[in-house]
Amino acid sequence: MRKILLLIFCCSFLAVNAQQRIVSGKVTSAEDGSALPGVSVLLKGTSVGTSTDADGKYSLSVPASGGSLVFSFIGSKTQEVVIGERSLIDVSLMQDVTQLSEVIVTAQGIERDNRSLGYALQTVKGSDVAQRSETNLLNTLQGKLSGVNITGASGGAGASTNINIRGITSFSGSNQPLIVVDGIIFNNAVNQTLNTLFGNQPTNRLNDISPENIESLTVLKGPAASVLYGSRAASGVIVITTKKGGTASGKTEVTLTSSVNFQDVYGLAKLQNRYGQGLNNDFNNTATNSWGPAFGGSLTEVTTIQGETVPYKAFPNNVEGFFNRGRIVQNGINIASGDKDKNAGLSISSTFQDGIIPNTGYTRNSIQLSGNNKLNNGLKIGSSISYVRSTQDGMPQGNGASALGQITRIPRSYDLLGRPYKDANGKSIFYNLTQNHPLWNTEYETLKSTVDRIFGHVTLGYDIKPWLNVSYRATGDVYTDRRKSVRSIGAARAPLGQITEDIFYAAEYNGDLMITASKNNLFLNGLNASLLVGQNINERSTQNTYTDAQELTILGFDNVSNGTVYTGSGDNKSLRRLVGFYSSLNLSYNNYLFLELQGRIDKSSTLPAGNNSFFYPGVSVSFVPTDAFDFQSKILSYAKIRGSIAKVGKDANVYLLKSFYETSTQGNNLASITFPMNIGGDNIPGFQAASRIGSNTLTPEFTTTYEGGVNVGLFKNKLSVDVGYFYTESSNQIFNVAISNSSGFDTRTTNVGMITNKGWEVELSATPIRTSDFSWDISFNWTRLRNKVVDIAEGITSSTIIGNTFGGLSPSIARGYPYGVIIATGYAKNANGDRLVNPNTGLYMPGVANTVIANPNPEWISGFTNTFTYKGISLAALVDVKYGHDLYSFGWIDLRSNGSLEITAKDREMPRVLPGVIDNGDGTFTDNYIQVSAQSYWQGLGGLATEAGVFNATTYRLRELSLSYSLPASVLSKTPFGSVNIGVSGRNLWFYSPHAPGDPELNTQGAGNIQGMDLNGAPNTRNYGFNLRITL
Amino acid sequence: MKKIRLLYKSIFILPLLVIMGSCNEFLDVNQSPNLPEQVPPSVLLPSALIASAFANGNELNRFGSTVMDYTYGAGNNPGAYDIYNIDGAAFNNQWRFEIYGGALNTFQKLIEAAEPVGGTSYTGIAKIMKAYVFSLTTDVWGDIPYSQALQGATYPQPRIDKQEDIYKGNAGLEIQSLFDLVREGLADLNTTSTINPGVEDVVYGGTIASWRRAGYTLLLKLAMQISNVEPALAVTIINEVISANNYIVENSQNLSVKFGSSVGSQSPIYTWTYISTFQNDMMVSSNYVSLLEGLNDPRLDLFVTKPTGSFVTYPNGFAGTLAPAANRSKWSTVITGASGVGPVRLITNAQRAFWLAEAVLSLGVTVPGKTAQDLYEEGITASMTEAGVPEGDIDTYIADHALTGTTEEQIEQIITQKYIAQTGNGLEAWHDYRRTGYPDFPEHLNAVGIDGTRPKRAQYIDQEVQRNPNFSPVVLPNVRVWWDVD
Repeated sequence: MRKILLLIFCCSFLAVNAQQRIVSGKVTSAEDGSALPGVSVLLKGTSVGTSTDADGKYSLSVPASGGSLVFSFIGSKTQEVVIGERSLIDVSLMQDVTQLSEVIVTAQGIERDNRSLGYALQTVKGSDVAQRSETNLLNTLQGKLSGVNITGASGGAGASTNINIRGITSFSGSNQPLIVVDGIIFNNAVNQTLNTLFGNQPTNRLNDISPENIESLTVLKGPAASVLYGSRAASGVIVITTKKGGTASGKTEVTLTSSVNFQDVYGLAKLQNRYGQGLNNDFNNTATNSWGPAFGGSLTEVTTIQGETVPYKAFPNNVEGFFNRGRIVQNGINIASGDKDKNAGLSISSTFQDGIIPNTGYTRNSIQLSGNNKLNNGLKIGSSISYVRSTQDGMPQGNGASALGQITRIPRSYDLLGRPYKDANGKSIFYNLTQNHPLWNTEYETLKSTVDRIFGHVTLGYDIKPWLNVSYRATGDVYTDRRKSVRSIGAARAPLGQITEDIFYAAEYNGDLMITASKNNLFLNGLNASLLVGQNINERSTQNTYTDAQELTILGFDNVSNGTVYTGSGDNKSLRRLVGFYSSLNLSYNNYLFLELQGRIDKSSTLPAGNNSFFYPGVSVSFVPTDAFDFQSKILSYAKIRGSIAKVGKDANVYLLKSFYETSTQGNNLASITFPMNIGGDNIPGFQAASRIGSNTLTPEFTTTYEGGVNVGLFKNKLSVDVGYFYTESSNQIFNVAISNSSGFDTRTTNVGMITNKGWEVELSATPIRTSDFSWDISFNWTRLRNKVVDIAEGITSSTIIGNTFGGLSPSIARGYPYGVIIATGYAKNANGDRLVNPNTGLYMPGVANTVIANPNPEWISGFTNTFTYKGISLAALVDVKYGHDLYSFGWIDLRSNGSLEITAKDREMPRVLPGVIDNGDGTFTDNYIQVSAQSYWQGLGGLATEAGVFNATTYRLRELSLSYSLPASVLSKTPFGSVNIGVSGRNLWFYSPHAPGDPELNTQGAGNIQGMDLNGAPNTRNYGFNLRITL
Repeated sequence: MKKIRLLYKSIFILPLLVIMGSCNEFLDVNQSPNLPEQVPPSVLLPSALIASAFANGNELNRFGSTVMDYTYGAGNNPGAYDIYNIDGAAFNNQWRFEIYGGALNTFQKLIEAAEPVGGTSYTGIAKIMKAYVFSLTTDVWGDIPYSQALQGATYPQPRIDKQEDIYKGNAGLEIQSLFDLVREGLADLNTTSTINPGVEDVVYGGTIASWRRAGYTLLLKLAMQISNVEPALAVTIINEVISANNYIVENSQNLSVKFGSSVGSQSPIYTWTYISTFQNDMMVSSNYVSLLEGLNDPRLDLFVTKPTGSFVTYPNGFAGTLAPAANRSKWSTVITGASGVGPVRLITNAQRAFWLAEAVLSLGVTVPGKTAQDLYEEGITASMTEAGVPEGDIDTYIADHALTGTTEEQIEQIITQKYIAQTGNGLEAWHDYRRTGYPDFPEHLNAVGIDGTRPKRAQYIDQEVQRNPNFSPVVLPNVRVWWDVD
């Protein structure tokens, strides 16, 4: 990487006169002795300099009096050599271990020196995400990035992962970062077949990239970094470079990777095993509760609702035993051949996963072919094409009628796994006659997805002049996702059966024309300039076609032709286009002062014609005082100050400008109809006004960021500290403002509101010990982020986030609160904040609706990695912390109210007093003293959709642990292997969440704007396994 | 290959297009292929009628049936209704999707679509039904958005009109009375329409004459609803109805919304009784069974199932362990309609007869050729005939239960018979109870509510309170609505 040229020091016209002499030499790498081309060689204190050629050689005219030469190269430590009398000076440059100065891929694939950047970005190496017992790339980034909050949905196979960079900037648009893979804008959508409460946890499409295929990854955190990417960059950008062909040595290198991992369900709440099914200490064979008699008493046998006599005892494993041991097998081969200019690469990878839930799984198989060629006429051609097939076998989740909705309602005395769950006719056998046995669900309610995806690019580049380059990059990313949802006859949510074929198609094409000009020593010596002018043409289209068959006839015939009612069928398409022009001017002065000016104009199809273009600029400055004033010392090796202001505009979603009609439906799972209805043999279509009012005066959203930071390298850069602060203001939100339903509508689209984010990002890396055999490296990051909804719309104090919500529980945008707080019924409290108790019952007074009960945003997040290396052995451990956020858990409140949680068995026979006060009626309050039974107490704490379901989700977690061993070269020298690395790794091996009964890192609805809710989704897992990596 | 071709097409032709200056054309792709911007009246009418049936027959029916002792709430929402517990979280979907965003807005859009093309059949039906649904809404919630409602972005936070103004109109505030709205609808139905509904009229199949009868009967219903608080106005309206002599006189003229027998077409009453996972939330109440047994009513065996051979019911408020769900008594298909076809009965011939009978006794109006007893008998006969009671049994029953005693006692008899005839329409029984106090059921066991008495109104839904400051302060469910005077 560091051998790639960034700055071309050419045309150094030097006047040679009589007092001067020539010094020449060769610059090599201290690590491997290879020649280093492009090294800057500067006569100290002047602007006289040159750079090394392709063989690492240089020659420079210097004064007869000598002086000092400064050799600097990106990614290496700068070296200063006194010339003295010498005319031949060879230098070997050491790699700069703390990477303070490194070539980084920035927006539009532009490679820049880290020191020149006026904004924060962070890179992650491929080796930091590979072989981490994990299939989802985003999960492997957890704990490794500052300013970034990553939350997996669950341990379900293929479940999506949410990622927000520097908070939330859009009320209702996507807040996921833009993903760019090898220059290709990469779709990271989460397509939902069923609604987000009742569906499975579909994957996020970035999952089509295997973590094993990553060469490096750069996170552009704010608009200043991402302005050139245009309107989708307000939420940040993740620029991914995959492994490709081409090595410096020109050899062919083959890398094989293989791993086997196992997954166990982990983090389930602890359950009691002392009391069985029933209520009020009486056995009841249909109760969902475990408030029945204690085990070991007079009741030893009971009769099931099916009439069978069974023992009355605890089945301690009846919940955990429902889950299987999952397995992940990953294999990959990467072949890289050729040199920098002419190369080819081939990557094949495969992943097979059996999930923890019976009959669930995930597979991913991909092949990528890439190549670059520089023709004799100077034309550079680069291209890559990838094909991915991934599949996900899931099943419905959610409250009530799903396996996961029932698993929190298994009485402790119910033999879930030891008795038949279906009869000879395939009908469910369960204690609850209107629900299905969870094992029946896993067999008869399935949701399968098969994705075929192809993406690639063609890039042409030509140097018109040595300082003038023109290139064109065309990229495409297309996938289809063929889904099939089956609810067999007898399924609780569709008693007559329902089969849906659901096809998603998405395509994005981009064309980018870029002209770059660069000139060194422009106007004055040491002032280098480069200018980029670009044009982007973008087209995005989607289609979703679904055939929904209901009222099935034949059990087990899972085909839509088995249906008799098809009213749920339909299709949805979208098409949007955008033309953008962008420009970036970079100025650097003596490699210590940098200025970047950027701007982009977009013209979008989704805004009102005639008023659809918008401009946004960015400016950033970076200054390296240690170089400018030359005050490096033994303590202070490097210092950089940066600052930037930038703005990004965001266009609207498609089709928001008008109001529409839609097919009518009524009702919910209590009773419902869908038009067209069949009444008396007539098919009758029905439409009604869609609930949203359009607006033909929409203007773009804008996000403006101010950021600044300091980066300091200490003790020869053995310790590096980077502290940054940012403030982001996102205004003019395109938002469906909630309006009174009595207007006949639910929302109207308009530009309103403002949301701000401010935060501190701290990164620290250190190498406390480094000897020839042993090293200890530390990497630490800490982020504190404050998000605030400053304003929504006139007269609106809160609004529900778009998505599927459970009745009475609204993930919301509330004025004065952080984004995504959950509004529901809170406890009735007095002015002191004490809960009010009803003096007649000893239970709480009716709750207060529309109360903000939970905040899913952490106060701070942090990650801490320690890596110990001794000879070929490497041990790395990552501990991360998310602190001070809330989780609303439907599962735990359910388990608590129904007497299953371990805590509910403690002193169950003893009366209890709910914490709270009784209103004396005269402005004074008495502490509650009224005793109630344990059942009344735990149920009285509060039911579903109340504040009682909120738990502090603070979690300390051993996120990753890996141990690897590289066979020494001495052993390998007689084998065909270049390197062999074997290892073991584990994920989520331990966690500590002091305020929650189980693992609170759950996010049932997956990637998206609704966060902080566990609504009967899959639980988490603990993963561990073995890895092998061989190069040939 | 197609994808590759597309890719090439996009990449190499698109820049050219832009360079050639056809950028605007290239970007002109924001027309939705998914949803129409305009639709004809014929597809709005069925949506609005079905939504009206949901408003009356779905959750509000479960509420009305439970507080009015038709049914016992065994769990979930009906369990709460059974001890009178309702708050701002109740009836959220009803307000949002069935009433304002469903029936009312769709009738409004139907009027807007049919008026310009002279579709007076459609506008007439829409105005009558809009009045019906608004009356249902104000009867349940009291003061509600009315004159400024359904106007979209013009009034995103409509004001609340007083129930009195909604019923009587208020020229100063530009509020049209519900009576005038019905009259306007009737006038539309009396003009020649350019277009006429057919099967999409899921009530009368396009028979406009029946809609006229429904309109006049609705006037009668509205007048009786305010007869305690505004007797003089009620008499005027009822006399107008009697002199027009064009109200519902046969069961076949009932304003009943038809449904279908397949999934997605079925009546809500059928679905929540027999299909839904929530079907065991409700069963028939012992109080109801006792009332009919006391009257020796032949409809009891027709209306209520006996899976075990005898009635398995519980008194409202019962808090003990229940019999297995399969054994419990539920509504029969006489009430729910067989296999989901309904109908959901909004206004019936029996109700009409009982309203007139009551009007004759309480308001002293005259129905030509009919005494209160005649009208009372008409009501019983209409109900029993629809239930399938043999003619001889009807005659016996009528003979055994002739009107007798004081006027008040006779009104009690009329409302009690109306209550039985309205089985399956709990909301209407709740309106009658609040207005007349009959049937005189005791308060439920273990009743909670605000003060242990039957709710007197529904509380505004939390979401509206949150979205529209006009809904504050919240009125609690123990406060009487305007027409509910003692």
